[in-house]
Amino acid sequence: MALPVTSSLVQTRAISTSATAYGKKNFRKFLMYGKRGTRQFKQQVKSDPTSEFHQMFSRGVRPVGELVGKKYEVIPEKIPELIVPDLEGFKLKPYVSYRVPDVVQGEFRPQDLFHAVYSQKIAEDFKAGKLDEEGRPLEPSEEEQLTPEVAKERALKIGSDRF
Amino acid sequence: MAQVDWKTPKAIQYRQTEVKRTKFRFTTNRPWTQQFAQQNRVGTRRKKVFVEPITDWSFFNGDRVEILVGKDKGKQGLVNYVVQERNWVMVEGLNCHYRSIGKKGDYPGMMLQSEAPLLVTSQVALLDPSDNKPTDVEWRYTEEGDKVRVSVRTGRIIPIPKLAEETKDYKTKRTYVEQEKDTTEDDLTRITFEPALKTFEMDIATKMGIEEDRVPLKTYWY
Repeated sequence: MALPVTSSLVQTRAISTSATAYGKKNFRKFLMYGKRGTRQFKQQVKSDPTSEFHQMFSRGVRPVGELVGKKYEVIPEKIPELIVPDLEGFKLKPYVSYRVPDVVQGEFRPQDLFHAVYSQKIAEDFKAGKLDEEGRPLEPSEEEQLTPEVAKERALKIGSDRF
Repeated sequence: MAQVDWKTPKAIQYRQTEVKRTKFRFTTNRPWTQQFAQQNRVGTRRKKVFVEPITDWSFFNGDRVEILVGKDKGKQGLVNYVVQERNWVMVEGLNCHYRSIGKKGDYPGMMLQSEAPLLVTSQVALLDPSDNKPTDVEWRYTEEGDKVRVSVRTGRIIPIPKLAEETKDYKTKRTYVEQEKDTTEDDLTRITFEPALKTFEMDIATKMGIEEDRVPLKTYWY
């Protein structure tokens, strides 16, 4: 006669990862290679150029081309062109003499740029009476005629990724 | 002062630890010398020397001081050497002892006079320039806002001597001899910046003669 089952114990197994997490992971005197994964899996990861494995050992250098099948094709546009000014007649040297007193210069703010570009014309126009009731110039210069759209277009033309 | 021998690399999988040495025995040898390295070589552990912490240090090279203890008590001299880690000061030619080096067989050796260090807190006192007598010194601010040493007894300002400005490169900043690779004052202070209504890249383009007519397509953010 079979007795009825009143309670059932569900056996579960757990893996404790705290021991590995707190344990010493990186030895400097001998290399501890990765143990996880089959040989096939590790070879797959190694050969795949888009995997994280290559990112880990890359040092952040941007690639100069693309893998086309098995061959690596260099794309000339991807090679960075460093534009360095010609230092002919450049007076500043690597070190500064101890005799020089401290140079204290304020920050060059947008207000200062406005002042440098527009203020003189505005002052002259005001004195000559060439400003209308709202204060707009009657004979605007090239900079005064500039609209935000045109200015942005000019800045974008250069092709830098500033905006 | 800490000498870090090894630091774990800065990456997420490493626990940030350092293997370093912080306890040193400071002497008249400067920390970058070979003698200091020998005195504090790996494996040496010296008894701790208790040093009174001083927040504002008042003794500089070239200061006139009077010795208050020892054989040369009452004598005045110039400060030659300062060791802040031990609150020490060496006065030129005073508080000396004699030692002979190179003694061999009959040859008695060469006699050397060497100064002994004096503790700044109790064994030495700065002189008041008005009466050349030892005083206590405090750091106070003048009307203009400069921090100066003032004698507590008379209120006279004790100026910082010119010798204190001396370094390995110069005796005073004004007498420094300018070398090949030094930028002079005129070149440094000349302003060559001309503000223009251009971005940095546009400015470089005009200077290099780069002309671009292509306007990029409009981009939209959603």
